[in-house]
Amino acid sequence: MDWGRVRFFLGEVARGFTRNAVMQITAIGTVAMTLLLLGAFLFIRTTIADLGNGMLQQIEISVYLTPDATPHTIAALRASFHADPRISTVEFIPKAEGLKELRARTRGVIDTSLLTENPLPDKFRIRVRSPQLVPAVAGELRRLSGVDNVVYGQGVVERLLRLDTVLQRIGVAMIALFVIVATIIISNTTRLAVYARRREISIMQLVGATNLYVRMPFICEGLIDGVLGAAVAIILLVVVHATLWPRLLDALPFVQFNTAVVDVPVLVLQLFLVGGVIGTGAAWISVGRHLQT
Amino acid sequence: MISLRSVSLLYPNGVRALDHVTLEIAKGEFVFLVGHSGTGKSSVLRLLYREIRPSSGEITVDGIRVDRLSSRRVPALRRHLGVVFQDFKLLPDKTVWENVAFAMQVTGAPTREILRQVPRALDLVGLSHRSRMYPDELSGGEQQRTAIARALVNNPKILLCDEPTGNLDPANTTEIVDLLLRINLKGTTVLVATHNQAVVDRMRRRVVRLENGKVTTDKERGYYYLGLGQGQVLSG
Repeated sequence: MDWGRVRFFLGEVARGFTRNAVMQITAIGTVAMTLLLLGAFLFIRTTIADLGNGMLQQIEISVYLTPDATPHTIAALRASFHADPRISTVEFIPKAEGLKELRARTRGVIDTSLLTENPLPDKFRIRVRSPQLVPAVAGELRRLSGVDNVVYGQGVVERLLRLDTVLQRIGVAMIALFVIVATIIISNTTRLAVYARRREISIMQLVGATNLYVRMPFICEGLIDGVLGAAVAIILLVVVHATLWPRLLDALPFVQFNTAVVDVPVLVLQLFLVGGVIGTGAAWISVGRHLQT
Repeated sequence: MISLRSVSLLYPNGVRALDHVTLEIAKGEFVFLVGHSGTGKSSVLRLLYREIRPSSGEITVDGIRVDRLSSRRVPALRRHLGVVFQDFKLLPDKTVWENVAFAMQVTGAPTREILRQVPRALDLVGLSHRSRMYPDELSGGEQQRTAIARALVNNPKILLCDEPTGNLDPANTTEIVDLLLRINLKGTTVLVATHNQAVVDRMRRRVVRLENGKVTTDKERGYYYLGLGQGQVLSG
């Protein structure tokens, strides 16, 4: 290892970096904003996805049978449910038990003792393996003979699924926008750096420095912008997580957020990676465009 | 060492900078390229170090076909060439030593080699005692000598000088011309573009005259002349 060479190179990078401090800070700040958004988005999405999944996991399909359903029909239906790989649990609730449940649930609200006969049909309570399957399975069950009606909180499931997609699209659009802004700002920083050092560059090219060598300090500056931006974003995320997040949890005590599902080291790594890629990518494009060869 | 065969250079705006220029320069020669401003002297030099490409014709420098050279191979060509300009092109925030070392550092030379070659180059141009000074602390002649040291530090076979004395007073001019001569005597091929009559007359070397992009005279041990007819010489 030729330390003199390393020192010279690092010295050039440091000089370039400090020469235009204001612009570098702007670049780092923009990257930090982008990554803060990305980090918050990833964090919230993972948590909400987990929450939604939990809620969706609990969704059950109630299959109400026709009043004339014979024990034979019930047995046949139970067998077909068990045979369906998408269905995870099957529970048969005879009308008597259904009435008991109803009485328990409405105790003190409705006086069910007025009921002289049981108006409820027999029913199956079914859970499926994935919330996405609920609407389809429910639709199929409705067509089976002996089945009168199928209820699963229609609309709620679809809405939750749609909300998930919409959230994802908004997040992706915002992050894309910020990535573009960060790229433009780093490109501009690089352009100014190239301009500030045009004399050095022309001498380097004149004495036979390779293109890669001429570009390398600028690429390194971009990388530093990106990585420092990521570091700032991570620090801000930690601060936000320590201060605002507990308050949010306090404000929404009925929502069971499970933050353990967020893999913090992976998130940190992702942010550094994205920052580095934005920084080097933007610098590479810009230096290529503004360096006449 | 340097060969131009029927080289023409047409600028995008239609100006014909060079018109079928043919020129051969042997190894170890010292050649002046003279003519008024805008007659194509600088264009010839810029073609040689592949700053620009000719519109037509063949250019060979040290066995390399420069007119066909891909951009990727330009750095390799330039490591065989030293180039010196009228405005010195020194880096103001680097010392004399650093300016000279810069040419080696950016081409990836090992530190040991830099520590050996930079003092040698500074010694050759007589600036060892100024190595820690900054360009704005030096006289014009010293600045140009720094630039020459930088051009020579990689031991090029060819030294190209574009108006090297253009910004210098007569005393400094003499100093630089003597230096160029010494460099030539060590075996380096030297090509100097100039319109300085005193320089040419003092040296009595081969003179190639360009007029409107054409070689009008090519004389061994020639003299500079201005405003006279073809082939005429001012003084014996």
